[in-house]
Amino acid sequence: MKKGLLLHTRPQTVPASALRFRLTWGLGGAAVLMVVVQLTTGLLLNFFYRPTPAGAPVSITHLNNEVFCGRLFHNLHHWTGHALVVIVVLHLLRVFGRAAYRQERYRNWLIGLGLLFLVLLANFSGYLLPWDQRSYWAVTITTAMLGYLPGLGPFLLEAARGGSEVGPATLHLFHTLHSTVLPAGLAVLMLWHFWQIRRAGGLLLKSSGRPGEKPEKLAADPHLFIREKAAAAIILCLLVYAAIFFDAPIGSPANPALTPASVRAPWYFIGFQELLIHTNPTTAILALPLLVVMFLVLFPLADPENPVVQRGITGLFYTLLGGFLILTGTGLFLRGPGMELVWPF
Amino acid sequence: MRRLWRGAGLLVLAQFLGASIYFLLSGSRRKKSPIPVFIDVGPVEDFAPDSVTLVRRGEFYLNRFADGGFLALSRRCTHLGCAVTWDRERKIFTCPCHASSFSRDGSVLKSPAPRPLDLHPLIIEKGRVKIDIGTRRRRTLFSPQQLGYPAGKQKT
Repeated sequence: MKKGLLLHTRPQTVPASALRFRLTWGLGGAAVLMVVVQLTTGLLLNFFYRPTPAGAPVSITHLNNEVFCGRLFHNLHHWTGHALVVIVVLHLLRVFGRAAYRQERYRNWLIGLGLLFLVLLANFSGYLLPWDQRSYWAVTITTAMLGYLPGLGPFLLEAARGGSEVGPATLHLFHTLHSTVLPAGLAVLMLWHFWQIRRAGGLLLKSSGRPGEKPEKLAADPHLFIREKAAAAIILCLLVYAAIFFDAPIGSPANPALTPASVRAPWYFIGFQELLIHTNPTTAILALPLLVVMFLVLFPLADPENPVVQRGITGLFYTLLGGFLILTGTGLFLRGPGMELVWPF
Repeated sequence: MRRLWRGAGLLVLAQFLGASIYFLLSGSRRKKSPIPVFIDVGPVEDFAPDSVTLVRRGEFYLNRFADGGFLALSRRCTHLGCAVTWDRERKIFTCPCHASSFSRDGSVLKSPAPRPLDLHPLIIEKGRVKIDIGTRRRRTLFSPQQLGYPAGKQKT
């Protein structure tokens, strides 16, 4: 039997039915791999990146054009960061679909929500670092949304920007969070997340219906590991291809005096921006998000035997998801210059 | 004895957390009342009545009304902080981000902007216009008292 520190997070034997790809779609594993890619490439990029308004564009140009594989690592970090947001949301949907959040898995559901929050923060703090027009104004309007929170709003706004305007202090703050607190937080919560899966006895499987029957067990090495390695290789290939063929967008350096014709929040926050157009700020950025978070935290505690409650939860969950997708889609594709509604074709 | 040690440990941890929070807050604390920073933008005659001039150095529009009164309007849209632009033809300020628009005096013509454009305090000394770019004053409504007039020409 192989021994090693990393193997502590892996089981030694797995039920044969847990190996079925369509049980999880490999989404949790993909997220792990992508976080590792982010930690590795981020660590390398940090050797060249300078978190100052004057230094950032210069250091990125140097990285892209003169450093060996600089552009590749930069692109890889960029696309993996965005793909990671998509993957963790899909992972959440899959866990919801399998109802793998009850009883001994409830704590892990909460840890997962925490991880989702950290992934969003990590992506958002990284969004500012190129310090181009797109990132400067996206962060300006997204942090300005914080200012609308009743009471604490102005304080939070200043805390998030490190001052009253987005400036050098904001860049320094975002870079510090992006390269220390958030990766460390992700690593700790992730290990806790894996450990909780093992504590709950592995993945949630459908019972065969015949009581007393022991499921067929296979050795994790090679049956599980070979699948994980193959999936990892495929995902890594896709990410590297994306990084080779598509450059991370870098616009002209940030200019606080000139707002470009269309300013958008990062795509995962565009739903909030859209809501802000339709409703008053307190509803859009306080009441609704708070209700959604409360729903996500509390619904696993509902009675699993009550079909009416369960149907209600499922309905509400997909309604919220659909609503958010519609808002995001409208913000992404149907808004022209000046945020007027336009057709994309 | 063990409980004593645990209590002491928790106490130290709490102290460290408190100190860390204060450490972070004190370093980023801004002065409660911003210091006035007046910049001289030139003599009164440089600004024709009924004109709007962008002053890049302070990020504001110096607005002179037909009756000779001055108003210094911040460029920051009151919605989410984008820079508004002056539309010469329609004589309104428009925000490129969410299509808010403001009239000449900064009042909201089209939401989502929640309040009129902020003002910079303005004084006219010995025939020269001076603007305090260190202060941005919020307001809920435009009123003629907000205008500054060259000495001698003040109305009312």
